[in-house]
Amino acid sequence: MSTWNKNIYRSVILASFLGIIILMLFGISQVLSYLNTGADRSSMLHLKLENNQVYLPKVIWKDTINPGRPIEKQTLYDIEKDYLNAWYVRQVAYQTYDTLGVDDYYTTKARQRITEPIAVNKTNGVAIHSTTINHNLLLDFYSADGQLAVLTDKNVREYQRIYKEDQLLLETEIISDYKVLLLLEDGFWRIRHLIKEEAQTIKDTINTERLVKIKEDKIYIEDSGFQIKGINYYPQKTPWDMFGDDFDSNIIEQDFDIIKTIGLNTVRVFLQYEDFGKATVKEEKLQKLQQVLDQAEAKNLKVVITLFDFYGDYSVLDWTLTHRHAEQIVNRFRTHKAIVAWDIKNEPNLDFESRGKENVLAWLGEMARQIKQFDPNHLVTIGWSDIESASLLMDEVDFVSFHYYENIDDFEDLYVSMSSQIDKPIVLQEFGLSSSRGFWNPLGASEKEQAEYYTQFREITQKQNIHYLFWTLYDFDNVPTDVAGNLPWRKHKQKYFGVIDVEGNRKEASKFIRD
Amino acid sequence: MNFRRIHIVLGSLILICFSVSFNTMLIDSAQVSVVLKSKKEIYTAGEEIQLNFELNTPVSTQLFLHSSFGNILLQSENGQFILPKFLSNNKGVIQYTLLHDSEQLLSGIIKVLANTNTKVQLESYIGPPSITAGGNDYTMPVIIPADIYDNPLPDSTEIVLKHQFLSNEKEEIVYTKDLIGWSTIFSYEQSGRLLLSSKVKETSSKEFSIVVFPAIPESFQINAKRKHEYADGNQIAELITSTLNDQYGNIISDGTLVTFQIKNKKGVLLKTQASTVRGIAIAKMLHPDHEDSWEIKAFVSGIAESDTIHIEYESVLDDFKVQFSENNREIIVGPLVSFMEQLIPDGATVVLRISQEDNLIDTKMTTSSNGVVTFKVSEGFYANGNYNLKIKVLGVEKQYENILMQ
Repeated sequence: MSTWNKNIYRSVILASFLGIIILMLFGISQVLSYLNTGADRSSMLHLKLENNQVYLPKVIWKDTINPGRPIEKQTLYDIEKDYLNAWYVRQVAYQTYDTLGVDDYYTTKARQRITEPIAVNKTNGVAIHSTTINHNLLLDFYSADGQLAVLTDKNVREYQRIYKEDQLLLETEIISDYKVLLLLEDGFWRIRHLIKEEAQTIKDTINTERLVKIKEDKIYIEDSGFQIKGINYYPQKTPWDMFGDDFDSNIIEQDFDIIKTIGLNTVRVFLQYEDFGKATVKEEKLQKLQQVLDQAEAKNLKVVITLFDFYGDYSVLDWTLTHRHAEQIVNRFRTHKAIVAWDIKNEPNLDFESRGKENVLAWLGEMARQIKQFDPNHLVTIGWSDIESASLLMDEVDFVSFHYYENIDDFEDLYVSMSSQIDKPIVLQEFGLSSSRGFWNPLGASEKEQAEYYTQFREITQKQNIHYLFWTLYDFDNVPTDVAGNLPWRKHKQKYFGVIDVEGNRKEASKFIRD
Repeated sequence: MNFRRIHIVLGSLILICFSVSFNTMLIDSAQVSVVLKSKKEIYTAGEEIQLNFELNTPVSTQLFLHSSFGNILLQSENGQFILPKFLSNNKGVIQYTLLHDSEQLLSGIIKVLANTNTKVQLESYIGPPSITAGGNDYTMPVIIPADIYDNPLPDSTEIVLKHQFLSNEKEEIVYTKDLIGWSTIFSYEQSGRLLLSSKVKETSSKEFSIVVFPAIPESFQINAKRKHEYADGNQIAELITSTLNDQYGNIISDGTLVTFQIKNKKGVLLKTQASTVRGIAIAKMLHPDHEDSWEIKAFVSGIAESDTIHIEYESVLDDFKVQFSENNREIIVGPLVSFMEQLIPDGATVVLRISQEDNLIDTKMTTSSNGVVTFKVSEGFYANGNYNLKIKVLGVEKQYENILMQ
């Protein structure tokens, strides 16, 4: 018995000894690793770090000829970058009271002129969300030693929202001219003087010869009336990922044939903001889009391109990045004959609650103006998810788009009352019924009911002469979680909206369209 | 039909409601009307800016101000606003918007001008800090005159720019444009130091100095300085340039590197370098140890070159003695005597080449001591037999065939 006890004691002592050793080693290693962290050598010098541009308003150098000295391309690039960063850090400072970065882009004397008003705003609880939309720069002077530059920044459009204690007080757009004196210090072009001057507005001329036009409440393409009869399109194998790695132009060509044979003339496609490369749009994606548009043109189909799919950050400081995204895509295809309209965003009203209605609407309004600037040829619309939102930003769009998934019996009346208030063409941009009766949805519609639904819709659209695009061509095997969430019954429903099933057989609903 | 009627009725009811509420809103805002009492639109920096709005009803209003460096929001209960110093002291346009319950009542602009009555503050930037003589290169002073609130003075402010160089003292008047006044000051033909200053009204700047370096050198001459003309491999020859000048006669900057290139009889290139001091570069080269002739030319790389000079070296000895002993295994070369029959200074190279039937077996090289060199060809390495020996001293060669070593 006593040997047993002895052994137990022994093992306890041994175990605790081992435990203490392990703990000590662990402790020592933690102390050592703590002492090793901290400033790493690269941060000893205040060297400029390579950073991504986070602020990209439209910058045009109107003139760089100056009496001082001819400017080098690289210097011009540096000045532009640092000047924009100066605007950005100041805007961040006014929004968050955080003056980080102001030291880098303003000289000592200029800094005070920023920190003083910010201190006042902080005490008063005033936050200012602002961005500039464009800068037109003229180089007035560049010194012989390359250390000093004077710029004039003309017609700077500044968009601002002023909040007091989180209450929106004022939304304004101000156009100003600025005189700017910059000094090259520590490798940064820093603002020494910034003087606001009265803007001498120059109106940009906008070409009014458009490929697609609106006359009263009708859409005209090359001067002949156009009635949209269309479909929201994703390839069967790659829903919500049309321009991904599995992009296959042959499949799209076949699908366009099918769309054509069932009597439609328009497709609506979706470009995802991140997938297309955010502020720097990927050439590869543009080429895929080019193929799609060329094929559509060859098949005599028109295309509605929905931009900014899955985009969700409407904050003022993110505006310029989205403007550059739109610019690169829209500019590229501004003369493409297949396009009928740019749809800025799919169902943005669903973001009202989470992102703030004023944020979303302000972003959309400005984006509509931007796209019209980039491409005066085609139309602009916004794909609202319901009838109630359809009248929002009516003045900014060329035609109004809305989606309808409610009870079909109420549709006609709602449509009539809405159209009496809107004097622009109205497009029913999405509608459809999922034939999703099955385990996950025992009360869902059958294929027959789906067909009846479509027949009913056809009657209404013919009677009321409605532009329409229904949802969608195919039933899908897989629906990404981003689209319908994680719940299996939601996903299930989303899979059966097509008029062609997963095996490629035409469902009854597909017959309704042919006249 | 009934339905439709109800819809129409409902619709018109809603419309009426809307228009009524809209009207009340209109009335509300119409109630607060406002006039700006202070008509002044242009202020001078430092002056107090007070905006007095007359409101028909005493309500709390807010004034949003947009200025060069930022925006602020002021609050007032009586329609009177005094702008903070950081706005009223700063030059530029200020845009204001008067708000009542987030409704814009009135907006307008005021202008703040630089205060030209205060003492002028000067900020000068001058560069490049060094230029070259000759009148092609220039330096550029840039002056930013400002008032005491650090606002650049208006365009066409007069700046007196002065500079002094040797006996020249010049004055120039420039006028500001785009916040700055500037000029270009070209170098003179002489090198030296250029002093600059500027003055606006009563304020003078500090003294700024610019170094005017000489321009690039012109072609130059060289010569060689030797203790004697003998190829003793011992003395050092000096290669000396003439004074290097630029085209305006300025002595070029100290430290300019001059490269001397020497081509000997065999066409081998030798190289030595020196930096200039007061325009002269002195490079050194050891005398050859055999009769030779040198062709020497000097360069400032890519910029200037000298003429070519030739120098000859005479051999110091015509012949030397060789003694064989210890079965020809010990070879004593010397005594080696120089041009005055003195013993050659220690260190003259003596080369012995041992070969057997045209096959070179070994080359032994050693230096003289007290005029003598002794080679030992040991038995362990060289088997007994006949050898051919070649001995070369300071360019003179002697040959011994079929020497029997035992």
